[in-house]
Amino acid sequence: MNDHWHEQIQRHLNGQLGAEEAAAFVEALGRDAELRALYLDYMNLDAALGAMAETAAAVPGSVATLPAEAEGGSWPIWRWLAPVAAGAALVVLGFVFERRGPVPARADLGAATLSAQTAISRLPTPAPAPIPAWMSPTASLLGEAGAPR
Amino acid sequence: MSDIEAQHHDRFGSLFAEHEPALRTFVRALLPAPSDAAEVTQAVAVMLWQKFAEFDAARDFRKWAFGVARYEVLAFLRDRGRDPHVFSVELVNTLAEEATAAGPRHEAQREALETCLKKLPEARRELVLAAYTKDIRIDQLAARRGQTPMSVYKALHRIRKALLECVGHTLVRESAP
Repeated sequence: MNDHWHEQIQRHLNGQLGAEEAAAFVEALGRDAELRALYLDYMNLDAALGAMAETAAAVPGSVATLPAEAEGGSWPIWRWLAPVAAGAALVVLGFVFERRGPVPARADLGAATLSAQTAISRLPTPAPAPIPAWMSPTASLLGEAGAPR
Repeated sequence: MSDIEAQHHDRFGSLFAEHEPALRTFVRALLPAPSDAAEVTQAVAVMLWQKFAEFDAARDFRKWAFGVARYEVLAFLRDRGRDPHVFSVELVNTLAEEATAAGPRHEAQREALETCLKKLPEARRELVLAAYTKDIRIDQLAARRGQTPMSVYKALHRIRKALLECVGHTLVRESAP
């Protein structure tokens, strides 16, 4: 399967296809079994990465808050200025013999908890039968007791 | 809660936890928009619990769950039939059949993915997990990283393709005598 279809699948996933491109992609998906197999593999990858990220986000110091890598993207001027400014600040600090503790790059657990509570509150109620709280995909963020392992 | 109810609850919990990753993939395959997939997956979980009393324990839970999920997806799509990004009923049914058949392959892929993710350079692993973190949009992630959204999308394209290739190679190696 050529790179074009890898790109089309991913752009479809990102919602980046325009109406005409989307219609052509859906049409190709309907007639090409090999394309559908690749598409399903991407969906599986996507769902698995979502589950892994959910687990990772529950851990303090979540990757979502970490700084950028050099991934071939833009490199704005402030990215170069930041180390220079930091160095200057250290010199000044050295002169005045003043030390301050580093700012920890931690996940905002409060926001994560709020997000989980919001998701749980969207569950339809009342239900004919009691629904276990762990059925929410965000239950792990709350450390829900009784969740199956 | 009586003992019988507790057993019923535990049995459902155990089966649902076992098949939940496959169910997520199944719904995601039929509804490409993550927000749609999340909404329907939650509705499917509720429906499965409500109908669990009717489930015959001799049957395959995964097939039963996929059947319920397919019905929920089709019901969801009824209102969106004219959107070119959304699949036709025929395509949904074809994908549903093929996703069901691909279940074992997808399970093996998910296991291999853990190894492949560890093989990624740390910065790339962090980027891909950050991009999949709930409630974080790509433009927000790009701004946080001082990059354009397009450069983040391109990086993610390369990482996902590399992961898929790594998973494929891993499974070929494992199946070799």
